[in-house]
Amino acid sequence: MENPFAQETKPTSAWLWQVFTGVGLVVLLGLHFVANHFVAKGGLRDFSEVVAYLRNPVILCLEVLFLFCVTTHALLGVRAIFLDFGLSEPAERRLNQILKLAGVLTIGYGLGVTWIVIR
Amino acid sequence: MSKLDYRKLSRASRWLDVRNRKLGMWAYALNRITGIGLVIYLYMHLFVLSLLLRGPTAWDSFVALARSPYFLALDVILLAGILIHGLNGLRIALTGFGIGVGAQRALFTTLMVISAIALWVAALKIFRV
Repeated sequence: MENPFAQETKPTSAWLWQVFTGVGLVVLLGLHFVANHFVAKGGLRDFSEVVAYLRNPVILCLEVLFLFCVTTHALLGVRAIFLDFGLSEPAERRLNQILKLAGVLTIGYGLGVTWIVIR
Repeated sequence: MSKLDYRKLSRASRWLDVRNRKLGMWAYALNRITGIGLVIYLYMHLFVLSLLLRGPTAWDSFVALARSPYFLALDVILLAGILIHGLNGLRIALTGFGIGVGAQRALFTTLMVISAIALWVAALKIFRV
């Protein structure tokens, strides 16, 4: 079977992070989706239910872990797509910096919204 | 200034042209396309969550809108992307570690059938049929 992924030279730390966060997402996204869209009455939680849900410490830890995994996985995926287009080394370094900044901002934004909602 | 790697550029440009491609190329293209869609959705989702900062009225109005059939149809499309990307991703992870490399075609086909069944069940649940 033709497998374009097999053309990669060797596993990199980025690829391993992609895999580990991906496996984590299978579990965490499953929990997030079921808890928020299947268990919740009407498929979505209203404001008071969201606050009560996020104030549960176990749920909060799982949602923060989910935020970290989904952001890391997504931005590493974006990086992989850009690398497919054959960037030069300086461009790759610049891309890495931009994506790290985007990751910090995304996770910071998510944590900030969560903190404001549950405080 | 370094030049583009034209071999890689050529490979990337083949994503959307799956004519006469083997199953592996379809799997590759599906992974990339669903991935791009899910990244776009992630940031839309985070943007929508900012409604929580505007209090119960703003959030509950959105929830009422999101329970409409059009939004529920978008949920089914989202779920399709998640299932395809997630299960195809598991195949990529397994084969990346050298597991099931010889059975990739069967693995991909099986996982996509599981995706289709799970999507069908979830769609019925979403629309409360």
